[in-house]
Amino acid sequence: MNRGNDRLENLLIPFELLEPRTLPEALSMLADDDTAVRPMGGGTALMLMMKAAVFTPRRLVSLRALAPALGGIALDERGALCLGGMATLSSLEHSALVKTHASVITRAMPQLSNVRVRHVATVGGALAHADPHMDLPTILTALDARVQIAGPGGSRELFVDALITGYYETALAGNELITGVAIDAVPGRKAAYIKCTTRAADDWPALGVALSLVCSGGHIETARVVIGAATDRPTRVPAAEAALAGALIEGTTLAAATLDRVRDAVASQVVYTSDAQGSGAYKRQLARVHVVRAITAALQA
Amino acid sequence: MSVATRTINFTLNGAPVSATIAPHHTLLEVVRDTFGLNGARESCGQGLCGCCTLMVNGQSVSGCLSLAAFADGATVTTVENLAVDGKLSPLQTAFIECGAFQCGFCTSGFLLMATELLASNPKPTEGEIRNHLSGNLCRCATYPEVMRAVQLAAERMA
Ligand SMILES: Cc1cc2nc3c(=O)[nH]c(=O)nc-3n(C[C@H](O)[C@H](O)[C@H](O)COP(=O)(O)OP(=O)(O)OC[C@H]3O[C@@H](n4cnc5c(N)ncnc54)[C@H](O)[C@@H]3O)c2cc1C
Ligand code: FES
Ligand code: FES
Repeated sequence: MNRGNDRLENLLIPFELLEPRTLPEALSMLADDDTAVRPMGGGTALMLMMKAAVFTPRRLVSLRALAPALGGIALDERGALCLGGMATLSSLEHSALVKTHASVITRAMPQLSNVRVRHVATVGGALAHADPHMDLPTILTALDARVQIAGPGGSRELFVDALITGYYETALAGNELITGVAIDAVPGRKAAYIKCTTRAADDWPALGVALSLVCSGGHIETARVVIGAATDRPTRVPAAEAALAGALIEGTTLAAATLDRVRDAVASQVVYTSDAQGSGAYKRQLARVHVVRAITAALQA
Repeated sequence: MSVATRTINFTLNGAPVSATIAPHHTLLEVVRDTFGLNGARESCGQGLCGCCTLMVNGQSVSGCLSLAAFADGATVTTVENLAVDGKLSPLQTAFIECGAFQCGFCTSGFLLMATELLASNPKPTEGEIRNHLSGNLCRCATYPEVMRAVQLAAERMA
């Protein structure tokens, strides 16, 4: 049976929908100079923006048909974990490779949105959207992940830190696409992510703290400490990282003086935004507490 | 502006169907308005509440966030497909016995999500049930009864 659409009353405004089969084709359909033309991954963020009428596309370029090519999860020849730009968040959640090589992602997934959203949301969309409350950018910054980007002139690579430049802002040109993310294999690296929602687990967090500790011979060699959600973009805290470097590991914790320096660094070196999730002062206090919990969680991981 | 329409062909609750849609139509609208399957309904419209849950290629999605165009070639099932020949599924029966709804607005979503969970994890822990259903909201707050119903169905299906 074929049915017409006479009864459809729609919330969305009409647009052109293209479904390229190859990456070059997709790139050729994008436009650097027209913000009404956007690529669409899982569409979960775009659909919300379109329904709220904060985004009215002229053309959407769906990347769905590229999923077979760009949706994989694999190790490269140097042992780096490579997540395809079209890999869904639920494929990350259930991947044995991710669990072995970046278990911090596996552990974070059940707390990221919900099952239905994770079934369709993609790695590329989770990075390119650059909503500061999102979890994956903060985690991937702590893992020093490299983002692979394809554009009309070829491909380039940026660290997540350099990709996300501000509140909903990235270094991507309008005609560039995220094709994947690579997480290098670092022996002895332990990582943790703690997300702090003030009401229910599905709410946007007031704070996300991600950290990675490269441990060897009973001490921490280097550390990355990243604050998300409470800031404009995932923000590293170099003074906290310096305080952790060289610290002796005592069971699953560190000397009290070291923890004090880390707490002070995250409290004094980061500008915390006040918004619906809480005041800046409240989030600063959350960060002081949760950064230490994240250290314990990482050392236990 | 004249809107370009297209024809999509997909399997809906086991039957091959086709529909004429525009790119901006959601799958939820097509399932409800074109095919008259009103079990899934739009409530939050934002992916949060699960009232619009549909199964696409065996995975739960929020119909309110899905474009109908992407259903072309897909297998779509709705809550109307849970009962076979008028016989309710064990989970549906357990929902009734446990009183796992009051107004029933959220029920189709809870049923599809819990059916999905039990298919992949026949003996879920309480935490696993909560986790899988965490994206479903019930304004009548029947959560304890829903938990019991899912556990009861799991026991009976074991
Ligand atoms: C109900 C709900 C709850 C949520 N809760 C959380 C949460 O707890 N934590 C969290 O982190 N996030 C949460 N999110 C946000 C979710 O993670 C994002 O919506 C999702 O990751 C976006 O991915 P997508 O593939 O659907 O992106 P899309 O909507 O397709 O795209 C998002 C943006 O990225 C661009 N884009 C997409 N793919 C690419 C690509 N390959 N290259 C370049 N640009 C691209 C698009 O043009 C658009 O600007 C939630 C979302 C919903 C709907
Ligand atoms: S209406 Fe779609 S999730 Fe609430
Ligand atoms: S039974 Fe009323 S919303 Fe759940």
